[in-house]
Amino acid sequence: MSGTRPPVSAIRKDVPVSDTFMTADPRDTFSLLEGMLSSSAPRVRAGVAPAVFEVRALDVSYGSKRVLHDVSLELPEKRITAFIGPSGCGKSTALRCLNRMNDEIPSFHSRGKIMLAGQDIRGKGVDLTALRRAVGMVFQQPNPFPMSVYDNIALAVGEHEGRIARSTLDGIVEQALRQASLWEEVKDGLKGSALALSGGQQQRLCIARALAVKPAVIMLDEPCASLDPISTARIEELLLELSTDYSIVIVTHNMAQAKRISDKVAFFLMGRLVEMGDALQVFEAPARSETAEYISGSFG
Amino acid sequence: MPAHAEAAVLAPVPGGPTVIDLKERVRSTASDRFMPYLLGATAIFSGLIVTLIVFFVVQKAWPVFHTEGLRFITTSGWDTQLEDAWNGSAFFGVRALIAGSAFSTLGALLVSFVLGLGCAIFLAELAPAWLRRPFETIVQLLAGIPSVVFGLLGLMVVVTFIADHMVPGNSGDVVTEIPIGGACLLAAIVVLTFMILPFFVTVATDSLRAVPRSYVDGGLALGMTRWRTIMRIQLPTAAPGLIAGLVLAAARGIGEAIAISMVAGAIAFVPNLAHGPLYMLLEPIRSMASAIVENGGEAMDVPAIAAALFGLATLLLLFSITLSMIARWAFGLFSRRMGVVSDRNL
Amino acid sequence: MGSITKQGNRRIGSRIGIALCWAASIAVAAVCLFIIGYLVFQGWHAINWHFLSSDPVASLSEDSAGGVRTPMVGTAILVIFSIVLILPVAIGAAVYLAEYMHERWWITRIVRIGLETLASVPSVVFGMFGLAVFTLGFFKFLSSSGTEGGSMAFGRSFLVASIVMGVHVLPFVIKVAEEAIRSIPASLRQGALALGMTKWRTIRKVVLPAAAPGIATAVVLGMGLAAGDTAIVWLTLGGTMTMASDAWWKISNWLPVLRGAGSTLTTFIYFNSPAGDGNSPGAAFGAALVLIVLVLVLNLTAQLLFRRGSKAGS
Repeated sequence: MSGTRPPVSAIRKDVPVSDTFMTADPRDTFSLLEGMLSSSAPRVRAGVAPAVFEVRALDVSYGSKRVLHDVSLELPEKRITAFIGPSGCGKSTALRCLNRMNDEIPSFHSRGKIMLAGQDIRGKGVDLTALRRAVGMVFQQPNPFPMSVYDNIALAVGEHEGRIARSTLDGIVEQALRQASLWEEVKDGLKGSALALSGGQQQRLCIARALAVKPAVIMLDEPCASLDPISTARIEELLLELSTDYSIVIVTHNMAQAKRISDKVAFFLMGRLVEMGDALQVFEAPARSETAEYISGSFG
Repeated sequence: MPAHAEAAVLAPVPGGPTVIDLKERVRSTASDRFMPYLLGATAIFSGLIVTLIVFFVVQKAWPVFHTEGLRFITTSGWDTQLEDAWNGSAFFGVRALIAGSAFSTLGALLVSFVLGLGCAIFLAELAPAWLRRPFETIVQLLAGIPSVVFGLLGLMVVVTFIADHMVPGNSGDVVTEIPIGGACLLAAIVVLTFMILPFFVTVATDSLRAVPRSYVDGGLALGMTRWRTIMRIQLPTAAPGLIAGLVLAAARGIGEAIAISMVAGAIAFVPNLAHGPLYMLLEPIRSMASAIVENGGEAMDVPAIAAALFGLATLLLLFSITLSMIARWAFGLFSRRMGVVSDRNL
Repeated sequence: MGSITKQGNRRIGSRIGIALCWAASIAVAAVCLFIIGYLVFQGWHAINWHFLSSDPVASLSEDSAGGVRTPMVGTAILVIFSIVLILPVAIGAAVYLAEYMHERWWITRIVRIGLETLASVPSVVFGMFGLAVFTLGFFKFLSSSGTEGGSMAFGRSFLVASIVMGVHVLPFVIKVAEEAIRSIPASLRQGALALGMTKWRTIRKVVLPAAAPGIATAVVLGMGLAAGDTAIVWLTLGGTMTMASDAWWKISNWLPVLRGAGSTLTTFIYFNSPAGDGNSPGAAFGAALVLIVLVLVLNLTAQLLFRRGSKAGS
């Protein structure tokens, strides 16, 4: 069962593909969609990856309400891991523990260990800004700052690099936008408002922003939930490219998406990690009956 | 078993760090640490200013309260006492002033309640969409007109009108104590009404709009007319909000100094019902606030007068703080009734 | 079937009620428009270049009050200074209330009640408060002393009036600014935090710039309030028609002017109306027209800023 990726070559990079259905060339749209539909089998990538994140016995509650029970998992480096499960199962909460975004919520309470590259992220002396630099996050609704495209990225970079030469900053901005496959579309309008971009473009801008601070891990919480299929396909393709250099964790309620792009899958149900394994194995031959039921659509 | 990564070393990210050190301080956070304290200080200071005001005003008023006690508010005769104070006497009774504030504010509250309720119902329920914004703007405009302009117009229009058309020729026979002119309680009520109206209208409109649609729909489905749903369902439900609006308007009315001093005759006289309703309205008054502003100039050099004026200011403080508390309570009642669980005031 | 006449009565009652509401609204609108119209009508012929550019003349004979330049300058000084003095406090408090303070703390309730009560204090009382505080000898630097060598400060000057006016306006500015800051969506804050920005830097670099139109609205509204108040000015600035120095535009004269007494448009109107000592209703109307135009412009600006702010946020 050789894994097939969406035929990247089918998308001509020199022709800008807009995010809406009105593409410059209808053939691009069809090849994109064809790519999405044809790869129904999960991916397999060679090699065993070391773990970038190690979670042991994580318990999370908000006030008296227990949200995660005894979650233990390892996230492989430079692979795409998908958290799947029905709504309310705790996958987003688990994600937010990894960059300690949950700390902002007053009633948040947790136990257990989370190790990033061997360091306890909740240990003494850990600098939150350093953690969040290393672990970037993209949200469900695109949330660019109400500033220009350039400033969105420059602000993030300025946070961590301090004062740098304008030319260096320009270079970083361009590189980030290229990595997020947005450069061609905005290079003439860098000073324009980020809010004027389409939904898919805004989301890619948020990805560029996260990339600009050079993280090791990128987390995405249902990033395509508010986007149309074309934009979704573009972002999925983007993630596949990025996964050669970055470790990616994606929360998704879209199982087809998880099948298309993930290397490893973690299935959450009611606050527990029910099953985790290679995408191939989880989707074709799940070990647990709950997983099988969810995948076959018995509930959701 | 996947191999565990060596502590802090990962395969390099293009252009990125080869080592992740979570303990590394990326940026100086000095301002992050003291900013919350500085900001908190400004917030707490702002909240405590009112206690400063109470302290200083009461302290300056102390002499008059100490020597007179309750007689300060139960005795009349302010005008003559003021004159005598220049000659050294130091007794003041502000009953007439309190009466002046009370009569003018209550009268204005009455009229602006009726008018304002009509406007609020109009804005919340009856106005066609294209008329809503313009009328709201007009109400806001009214709120923005400075009090001295109200006073000026009151003088030139209302007082002249009353003097020319309402004062009977033989008024001197009925009211013997003081001359009757155009500047009187009625003028004060008229002017004050339109000054406090916007406060009531905005709060009342918001309260009516806050009544859930489902209540109204339920009434309509039972066959009630629009009007009856307003009268029987919306008004009673919005009542605490309306009370809050009235209280806010009252606070505004009691505190008004300039306009009253310009149109009400500046004579500390308690309007006398025994003269009949018309004459009662035509009698001049002086309010607590207007007395302060009229004597706040040179008269302040006389310590006794200054103390008396501060005494008046204390009374005004007392009234406004009490009214503010009542309004807060009414708003709280309203929020709970609407099911809005919120500690914040509207 | 119920009585049809009863239903008919009900409908008539309904019609009457609705008609009354319309009548009330029309009456109120008419009064408001009448006020503006009458002002324009009466004040219009008083306004000419001479009126706007010359100073008041102290005169008891009718309609010779001179021009309105000094009071206009006075209003400008007062409005600008009072806002400048309290802006840092207002924004600081608004930021703290919107971003750091939890509604459950007991101190939050104290601050909110304190601000609410402050907002309800009548402006006359503020004026008296100003006189009580700023006549203390400690504050001599704020006002040029009326009696030389006394232990009390004179207590009346532009500086004193600005401080008192600022305090009067403070709770309103805080309230509007706080709303503006709160209306910035949480997603922006979350995005900034996830990028590794600390809370204060998020506020400074993301939230405050985004809330700038709303904060500007708060400032302009405060200016409108400050421009229209009379009681505070009358008590803490007096009613003198001249300022400490005629050449007020020279920077070297600024400190004496600020420490001296003067007048604003509001006290000018009060003084020149038939209720005051002056006897020039014509000049009073002219000044009233100028004042109304100023207040209207400020309110309109505030509304425009507000609408621009809410559009940018969406």
